[in-house]
Amino acid sequence: MKILVPIKRVPDPQTNIAVKPDGSGIVTDNVKFVINPFCEIALEEALRVKEQQGGAEVVLVSIGPKVTQEQLRTGLAMGADRAMLVVAEEELDPATAATVLKKIVEAESPDLVLAGKQSIDDDANQVGQILASSLDWPQATFASKVEFSADKKEVTVTREVDGGLEQVAFALPGIVTTDLRLNEPRYASLPGIMKARKKELKEVPLADYGVAGAAKVKTHKMAPPPKRSAGRKVETVQELVGLLHTEAKLI
Amino acid sequence: MIEWNEQHLMLQDAVRKFVDTEIKPNLEELEHGDTPPYDVLRKMVRTFGIDAMQRMRFEKQIAREKALAASGDGAVAASEPPRKAVEGDGDTMGPALQLIPIIELCRYCPGMVTAMGVSAGLTSAAILSKGTIRQKEKWALPLLTLEKIGSWAITEPGSGSDAFGSMQSSAKRRGDGYVLNGSKTFITNGPYADTIVFICKLDEGNEPRERKILHFVLDRGMPGLVQSKPLRKMGMHSSPTGQLFLEDVFVERERLLGESEDAAGRGGRAGAKATFSMERSGVAAMALGIVSQCLELCTEYARTRVQFGRPIGEFQLIQAKLAKMEVARMNLQNLVFRQIELSAHGKGMSMAEASACKLYSAGAAVEVALEAVQLFGGNGYMAEYQVEQLARDAKVLQIYGGTDEIQISQIARSLLSH
Ligand SMILES: Cc1cc2nc3c(=O)[nH]c(=O)nc-3n(C[C@H](O)[C@H](O)[C@H](O)COP(=O)(O)OP(=O)(O)OC[C@H]3O[C@@H](n4cnc5c(N)ncnc54)[C@H](O)[C@@H]3O)c2cc1C
Repeated sequence: MKILVPIKRVPDPQTNIAVKPDGSGIVTDNVKFVINPFCEIALEEALRVKEQQGGAEVVLVSIGPKVTQEQLRTGLAMGADRAMLVVAEEELDPATAATVLKKIVEAESPDLVLAGKQSIDDDANQVGQILASSLDWPQATFASKVEFSADKKEVTVTREVDGGLEQVAFALPGIVTTDLRLNEPRYASLPGIMKARKKELKEVPLADYGVAGAAKVKTHKMAPPPKRSAGRKVETVQELVGLLHTEAKLI
Repeated sequence: MIEWNEQHLMLQDAVRKFVDTEIKPNLEELEHGDTPPYDVLRKMVRTFGIDAMQRMRFEKQIAREKALAASGDGAVAASEPPRKAVEGDGDTMGPALQLIPIIELCRYCPGMVTAMGVSAGLTSAAILSKGTIRQKEKWALPLLTLEKIGSWAITEPGSGSDAFGSMQSSAKRRGDGYVLNGSKTFITNGPYADTIVFICKLDEGNEPRERKILHFVLDRGMPGLVQSKPLRKMGMHSSPTGQLFLEDVFVERERLLGESEDAAGRGGRAGAKATFSMERSGVAAMALGIVSQCLELCTEYARTRVQFGRPIGEFQLIQAKLAKMEVARMNLQNLVFRQIELSAHGKGMSMAEASACKLYSAGAAVEVALEAVQLFGGNGYMAEYQVEQLARDAKVLQIYGGTDEIQISQIARSLLSH
């Protein structure tokens, strides 16, 4: 089985993000970048499938600036077999990213694409879905459990939906996007880090995919969320109820 | 080596994440409770595959030693490159990967590094440098993987800096073995150790000064061996320290390291001194962790703590503290880089150089950590703020592994002997 895992380089969710004064983006100096947490969960799941099934191949792919090598190397150190970086210095919108991924899927023909449900930078939650529809492949999003049939030809996915869990199954090839509770990603181990140095990390220029100028969505302006105003202490329950009624208008 | 490379940073990152999720939430228990550090350390060693790597390296070395022993020294030595040449290919990965977890752990828990270093470092190294192949397989490997916890016991109530001169612990021959007596104190991991390297003098009725130094391996629970409860101490609370009491402990000859009273050069005083030297080299990495953490905490505090209407970082006296801390951090980092580079080329520091390195590192850690307490003011004195712990922990770096005074006299002796 071949599993393709697209990963994205994003700012560490633990760091404080500042918006540039001109609103053109965020300040990236001194900001740590990591593998998008949902992508990391997808990679972990792929590695577990590989360990359970034996003989599976896990291929990483990312679209991003050249420094995205760092995240791909980390993925290789965690245990992926090889990686591919489509070098793009500018930000792509979800549809364009999906177009590039579609071409990679056609060239690689994986049995499964395991992706994060969304990246924590733009929170679009679209790439997996657009990719599935453009390939005309079945998809299961927000996976909290992924199980394969004995013959490995079919996958059953438990999805977290409003009000409960839902199970869907489809025949491979297909696309699964991962939710937060699917697994806890492993750390890169010492032997893993040593081995990663010898694994293939191929770079391809974005120009090879003929998507220049295809982006339909452009970021016009970014603004930080309004600062939360300080709280207030009340003396009595009556006062609280009164304020909830007159000021907050909640009751 | 002038900076960390991508792989080094990757490991640093992974260890930081581990510390965040496994150690930070349990720090209170580890530092102020009765939880020994070993389970968390074992988890770390397993998580990062350090145990597997140690085992692989150990097996390679033992295979080489066996081949060497089987064919009589000459032949194999000529056909196979010696261990140093194999390792000394200039690759900084191996040594760097050993030091990075030490540095990162020391940002939160220098005690855990002490406990781990004495077990997987000192104790196993003593067995590896002096033991027979059989002894190494039996006792060193489980220490390297942290499956077993080890203690290295030389210090006694009446003998510290003058470790050999006033040593009272004794071995007397009896039949095919020895009877051991004595008491040891300040022994790291002593209360919990499974495997103890006990250092004593062979009593043949001769002058104490002339007696041979022998190393024995003891197991927990041997008749006549008592391991005390942890002693209460100033810092390094996550590293249990205790006393050992031996009363007529009978041991077979197979517990004598090297299985010979004359393992000259390898055993005896020279052997113990080689172990000292290695103990000293770990201190730079420990100090780097402590100093880096203090600097980070202080920089943030200087930015955010407001007095007289402005952040205290705007006062020049505070700026001077931060600048000094940064100088210490850079010096320590360079010392660590030098150690890595030396080790990558199959070299080590001379005894005097290791002493100078330890003397500087320990002093820098203590100075920076105390200044960090000062910079935090009253908060710095409160256990709630981490600098309070780091300052207590740092102090012991000037005492164990040879006190500052002993390092100074050794550096001076080496300088003056030329
Ligand atoms: C937390 C901790 C963990 C330890 N772990 C271990 C362990 O695992 N195994 C082990 O065997 N030991 C261990 N030790 C013991 C440690 O190595 C000794 O405490 C240390 O070597 C100093 O010996 P001492 O305490 O007897 O001090 P002393 O030797 O009595 O020194 C007292 C003072 O006199 C000074 N002094 C002594 N001689 C001279 C001299 N010639 N010139 C100038 N000044 C001198 C010393 O520098 C010191 O300031 C540990 C100690 C501590 C605190």
